[in-house]
Amino acid sequence: MSSPLHDIWEAASASPYQPAVSKDSQFVVGAVLLFTAFILTGVFGLNRSIVTLPVLGVPASLAFGFGAVYMICAVGVYV
Amino acid sequence: MRSIALLTSCLIALSSLCAAELNLTQSLSSKQILPANFKPPQVFKNVNLVRTTNLDKEYPREVINVIIENIDSKPQSEYYLPFESSLLSRVGGLEVKDKKAAGKLPFKVEVVEYDSYSSTQFYLIHLPEPLQPKAQQTLSISFSVLSALTPVPATINQMDNQYVQYTFSAYSPSAYTTEKQKTKVKFPTANIPDYSVLDAPNADNTEDPQKQGSTFTYGPYANIPAGAEELVSARYEFTKPLTHATLLERDIEVSHWGGNLATEERFWLTNRAATLANQFSRVSWQMTQYSNPPTSALKGLAMPLRIGSLNPYFIDDIGNVSTSRFRSNAREANLELKPRYPIFGGWKYSFRVGWDADLKNYLRKLKTGDTYVLKVPFLEGPRQPEGVEYARVELKIVLPEGATNIHHETSVPLVASEATIHRTFMDTIGRSTLHLTAINLVDEWRDRDIVVTYDYPWTAGFRKPIVIFSALMGLFTVVYVIGSFDVSIGKKKTA
Repeated sequence: MSSPLHDIWEAASASPYQPAVSKDSQFVVGAVLLFTAFILTGVFGLNRSIVTLPVLGVPASLAFGFGAVYMICAVGVYV
Repeated sequence: MRSIALLTSCLIALSSLCAAELNLTQSLSSKQILPANFKPPQVFKNVNLVRTTNLDKEYPREVINVIIENIDSKPQSEYYLPFESSLLSRVGGLEVKDKKAAGKLPFKVEVVEYDSYSSTQFYLIHLPEPLQPKAQQTLSISFSVLSALTPVPATINQMDNQYVQYTFSAYSPSAYTTEKQKTKVKFPTANIPDYSVLDAPNADNTEDPQKQGSTFTYGPYANIPAGAEELVSARYEFTKPLTHATLLERDIEVSHWGGNLATEERFWLTNRAATLANQFSRVSWQMTQYSNPPTSALKGLAMPLRIGSLNPYFIDDIGNVSTSRFRSNAREANLELKPRYPIFGGWKYSFRVGWDADLKNYLRKLKTGDTYVLKVPFLEGPRQPEGVEYARVELKIVLPEGATNIHHETSVPLVASEATIHRTFMDTIGRSTLHLTAINLVDEWRDRDIVVTYDYPWTAGFRKPIVIFSALMGLFTVVYVIGSFDVSIGKKKTA
């Protein structure tokens, strides 16, 4: 039996898909990132200025963005 | 430095929002329209034909092995197979192979349409290489017929044995003259109280049919003209449920972030068995639960899942059904379901089951580019000793948001395929989805795979965190701007 897409599947046998964060560590990674975002947001809340907006806001938002995605995956909604 | 690179990639991801276009391969649903007075050209003859009808399961499985010969003066490649129109709509999984080249791919087969009022319709079989004049080829045509068994009597008592009747033609359906043919019918039991005996003897001048245990042979017959029919029927014991799914919706969701393949199947089941003559008696049902005699009621469903399946669930209209067992280890992953009530003839039950699996067993990345290849089973569902038939199967493969250039390939005959968008949690533009429809499948098709390839640039993967990032960053900015307003009512502090 041979057909083009099956051949592609066989050709890629050496490279199964590996996610950046495995299923087992999604919760830990998500929790750490969300906690970081929480702390950084708190610090920003106490000390709002044009300097802390990018210095604390950008890392806090990035941590919340990735942390939220991993936490949602960890609780079973695989987005 | 890394955050700059990340930011750049995010911008690219946002800019590709509008560029996500689907490119889908066309399905096999093409139909050839023929004029109303169409008759298949008599360019072939069937030299020898052996048809085997296997009645072990609730759907008859037919295998027609036929030696065809080109009797025309030109090479021919189009072989027609006729069916009565009411039968054609129930024929499923028709596959034609070269009997002498078993490893090759099945031939291309399509339904031809010429007059929807005609009582005869045709399947058109395309031989991969035209058959030269006077040359012969052995075809192996296999298919199953759905909703073919009728319980006779139509109503029985709760503990009674069930008898079903199957009506078929002793002559195999053919659009060409058949020189020699016979039909073997394999029954699941030797308890066959009624069957048709033909008046005329067969070509060997013996009684027709010939009986050997639970196998009957109608024929051999010599020189049967094209389109000839000789209806016969048999009634035999079949105290098993006739499980019929009017619809199966199957969703497969790929999550790159979660490394997960989520499957959900929604069943609309009915049992075509004989209906109950009296009211259902819980007492007599419970009394038989230890001796476990054969019954026409559907008591449970066994679903062997792929090894490594996780987190199964079984839900019906009321809620979670707790009467299920899941046994999972390195060798098996068996999901055993028990419906809330035994499903007797004419009763219905609809439910959904779902499970997760690790994506690495189903998805591979090509070495070059951002192309991924996904290989998943087209059909899973229960595997029952008596079989399960599906009138319609709708498969949705939900790919990640931003997947483009989608191609698919499967050996399951499809009636429709389209690309749609599926919107769910945390989506901005919706996920690219492949929506495939197949009709008249049976549980034997559960080992067939579908292979899907798609392009998924790594920038598209960052769409979800970037959307959340932008929202929160916007919130911070708003908080900063509002917080810097001076709304005090006292004197302005100068120092």
